[in-house]
Amino acid sequence: MMDMQFTDVGGVTKAVLVGRLDSFSVGEVETRFVANIVPKEQSAVVDLSEVSFIASLGIRMLIGTARALQRSNARFAMFGANDAVMEIIETTSLGEIIPVVDTEDEAIAAVSA
Amino acid sequence: MTEADNTQVITVARDLDLIPGDRLHCLELIDCVDVGRRHVVGPLGLKIGRTPPADIVLLDSEVSRTHCFVALTANELTVSDLGSTNGTFIDGVRVEDPTPLPVGSILQIGKRSLQHEYRTRAEIAESDELDRELQRASAYIHALLPPPSREGPVRCDWIHVPCARLGGDAFGYGKLGDDLFVAYLIDVAGHGAGAAMLAVAVMSQLRQRTLPDTDMHSPAEVLTTLNRLYQMEDQADLYFTIWYSVYDARNRTLRYAAAGHHPALLVPPDRSHAIPVGTRNVIIGAMPGVSFKEAVIDIAPGSSIYVFSDGVFEIVDKGGKQWALGDFEKLILDPPIAGMGETQRLFHRVRDAATPGPLDDDFSLVVAQFD
Repeated sequence: MMDMQFTDVGGVTKAVLVGRLDSFSVGEVETRFVANIVPKEQSAVVDLSEVSFIASLGIRMLIGTARALQRSNARFAMFGANDAVMEIIETTSLGEIIPVVDTEDEAIAAVSA
Repeated sequence: MTEADNTQVITVARDLDLIPGDRLHCLELIDCVDVGRRHVVGPLGLKIGRTPPADIVLLDSEVSRTHCFVALTANELTVSDLGSTNGTFIDGVRVEDPTPLPVGSILQIGKRSLQHEYRTRAEIAESDELDRELQRASAYIHALLPPPSREGPVRCDWIHVPCARLGGDAFGYGKLGDDLFVAYLIDVAGHGAGAAMLAVAVMSQLRQRTLPDTDMHSPAEVLTTLNRLYQMEDQADLYFTIWYSVYDARNRTLRYAAAGHHPALLVPPDRSHAIPVGTRNVIIGAMPGVSFKEAVIDIAPGSSIYVFSDGVFEIVDKGGKQWALGDFEKLILDPPIAGMGETQRLFHRVRDAATPGPLDDDFSLVVAQFD
């Protein structure tokens, strides 16, 4: 199961994901995730510090959101991934598509540059 | 042959028309794609066991001949264990006395799992049709997979067990020319017929070596072309990962590239360690116009290489631990079992380690043995 929270940090949408982003939970949360980020047409950052696993469908959700924001000239970044999630990000080279940094401040800076 | 293929299901005279009510209680095997996986529970109930005259026969060594009984009373299902050796479980809890089986809960018997669904007749008809479509798609993918190769400088064996919702795994191998051998595995993100269709489309092009203006001997070039042809916006937001290689038997070198895919594992003859064989490239379809890296590795005589999808190792084990690649690597390095192929050994090891119930994703594993 996965929980999500959304806040606005100075004109940047911040999403906090908690739990496993596996193929079952993606089906449950994807619509809400996209609906809370993409229509605002503003840059967004995602806190991954409480995410324990990302399956390929979760990666698809993140890439799809990043590309949708790109069409609105907005940016997307992620931060706080633990070692297990970083291994997945590195294996899939997701970091070459979406910036992945350590802290929220770095993520905000990355989408605000 | 998969475990699902080994399951023989016998249904007694249980015509839906003879069972009263608009909604019907069903027990549905959740670890296979098969229209015969659904069993409607009528007023007489259902007996489950390993041999007839059980109503549902599960050919699983952990299932007793007469294992348990599912009764329908007052529009509810109740499960009674019939003195089975290995027990009957509802959502992981062993059944000691007659116990209600709520809608949505999972009845576990041996290695098999059945879910209690409460469906209208229309839903059953619709679900049956969907199952048939997935079964056809699964059979089609299976038909495109190459036969095991038992001769020549590279001998290959494989196992492909589609998950219940059918994932998007596909793979192939074969000669690319004199002394040249190609092997690849693709994994489309997603489940169902859409993912399977994309997997088939890509596999067909790779099988026929028909990528336009592409040197099929160059893994980087192949990946570059695939990325140009299969951008996710043009593919219903589907993308895929791939591992692709070309082995030259004349100089014993393997050229390889991976895109969004974990490395294959190369194991020397002494099985002392596994060497990751992969390159870091973006997922195919996720970003246009990127370049792809490839690499080369020497192959020692007698080595084996294991190429697989993420469904092989991304499991949660019975202790609740999420597995990563390293956990599967340990299994690979365990000694072979006499009389059992490597692919079967590893499938059963993973299946035994995983939490009960169906695997979440396709299980695709190719093992190639070099001379």
